[in-house]
Amino acid sequence: MGFGWAIFMPALIIVAGLLIKLAMANVAGKSLHPSDISSLMVKALPWSFFVGAIGFAAGSLLSNIALVTKVYLPREVFPVAATVAQAFDTSISAVVLAIALPFLGVTLSWSLLWVPVLVILLFLFTTGVGLFLSCANLFFRDVKYIVQVLLTFGIFFTPVLFDASMVGPTASGLLMLNPLSPFLEGLRLCVVERHNLLEPLMVAGSHGHVLVWTPWYLAYGLVCSLGGLLASALMFHRLEFVFAEYI
Amino acid sequence: MWKKFHRGEVHDSLRDLVPAMARHLLGRAPKPTQLQAGDFWALREINFQVKGGEALGIIGPNGAGKSTMLKLLTKILRPTRGSCSVRGRVGALIEVAAGFHPDLTGMENIYLQGSIMGMRSSEIAKKIDEIVEFAGVGAFIDTPVKRYSSGMHARLGFSVAAHLDPDVLLIDEVLSVGDMAFQEKCIERMKLFKRKGVAIAFVSHNMQAVAELCDTGVFLSGEVLALGPVQEAIGTYVRSASRQVAAPRGAAIDIVKADLLDERMEPAVTVSPGAELTLRVTYCVQKTIMNYQLVFVLYRSTDGLKVYDGNLRSEEIGLDGLAPGETFTVDFRFSVHLVRGQYHVGSYIYHNPTLSQISYLVPAGLFTVQETRTYGGGVADVNLTCGDIVRTPPRSG
Repeated sequence: MGFGWAIFMPALIIVAGLLIKLAMANVAGKSLHPSDISSLMVKALPWSFFVGAIGFAAGSLLSNIALVTKVYLPREVFPVAATVAQAFDTSISAVVLAIALPFLGVTLSWSLLWVPVLVILLFLFTTGVGLFLSCANLFFRDVKYIVQVLLTFGIFFTPVLFDASMVGPTASGLLMLNPLSPFLEGLRLCVVERHNLLEPLMVAGSHGHVLVWTPWYLAYGLVCSLGGLLASALMFHRLEFVFAEYI
Repeated sequence: MWKKFHRGEVHDSLRDLVPAMARHLLGRAPKPTQLQAGDFWALREINFQVKGGEALGIIGPNGAGKSTMLKLLTKILRPTRGSCSVRGRVGALIEVAAGFHPDLTGMENIYLQGSIMGMRSSEIAKKIDEIVEFAGVGAFIDTPVKRYSSGMHARLGFSVAAHLDPDVLLIDEVLSVGDMAFQEKCIERMKLFKRKGVAIAFVSHNMQAVAELCDTGVFLSGEVLALGPVQEAIGTYVRSASRQVAAPRGAAIDIVKADLLDERMEPAVTVSPGAELTLRVTYCVQKTIMNYQLVFVLYRSTDGLKVYDGNLRSEEIGLDGLAPGETFTVDFRFSVHLVRGQYHVGSYIYHNPTLSQISYLVPAGLFTVQETRTYGGGVADVNLTCGDIVRTPPRSG
């Protein structure tokens, strides 16, 4: 399938999300809005990147046992390479996405300048998680099962198929604690809603006003990605010497 | 440097981690530099230094820690105590084909393996013809390596490493897979490296190759048992490895003891080519037997090559039908027409009617031959001298 593979996974998530959105719209007695579709697409892509990268990175050290035990090279290469490879795949589908979005009513705006910032932060965060999990999986073989379960059900605890604000004020705040939420919600807001991420955003819902965005979310995402990467890189570096012994 | 390993299973699931952490918090965890149940020192008190242009041969039985030592030097493992350092660019041939990807072709794998070992792709591109030529897999270079034979695999791997241009070369028993011609080529290549000033650490069970390549040798078995000139280290290893094996007492004739003596009837240790040696073996008769042979076998210790195998027949030397309880001593005289190296002799008794070995003692004696006349070694000393020289001046015209 070649490049088709790169688009397959996000496309599947988008179709699944559309079905759910359609069901929700029917129940509420509303019709599906183009911005629903575009926001779904904007969030499905980074999510599929995260899932794919983590899936490969977590097992990357174990699947290269021969190299880890027989050749000395910086072992960071394995999880980081998995993340970079996934980023490459994602960039292909991002091109497709960029072509599709204008047809769904997305227009150019200054807020789009936030996209590279969020993408870089998401990449760094994913790299950090990948480093941590590959290392953990080397010492504890049952980590991979936990990762599998988390990645399968993580989509329900991450605002991918729905927006965080849809679950009401309290649950929304909790949902935003998921380190991925600020990136996904941020991307949706700056691309689809043309919102400047330095400004807070409130919407009126059926249960009162819901805080959709505050700059603190951005700060939280920044801390998670940089702090996470730094901490896991340090841990990885400290444990690297015993990899060959424990693997 | 010191290295600790653990025998048996380590906790490698989260489920087992919790009790271990609890112990840790309660302060009952042992210090990392001490041994606890199941731990052992894979290497203890190893000290050595190899300078540029020198080659160190690392020998010892299986599980002696030879590969562990190389892994410590390449930083794949970290010493438990002490430290080791390697200066310059390291070429490590721990497992030459480790980085190969089975689905990629030979050519692609050269690039992959080269970059894993730290070569730039421009550097590889420059040497690619040489590498393919050296490996001798030219016709199959565009075939995926999963279709290669294990020999071709190793040749390609070694070939990449051989073109690495390192300052330090660490080699771990990589020659065993290649055919004879290729092994020869590898040894030549390593000698070339040595002449260029590369420091080499060479692990091998092929004592001949070690003796040929290395200046110093270290005999390892968890700790350093011998460190010095390569022949001495090999000698110590061979002596300890060829532990005397003797048939159980109670055979028809026992071999009681054996001594290896020189011309002055003193124990022979180091001799020169042409020396006359005597193997004096004492036998004790347990049962009267006829028609047997006293066998004398000379081995080259470094590779077990049987240099000579001869015997004395009992009826010819008048030892048929001796009465039980009688003890007799036989001198086996032989001359040493051998080049430098380690040798040992074995003594056997062979019974012709039952076609069986009834007793044996190996090694019955060990000796080292020293000489500096031969260039590349060999086996037999053929006593080369210069004969007549006939010179024909160029014809003027």
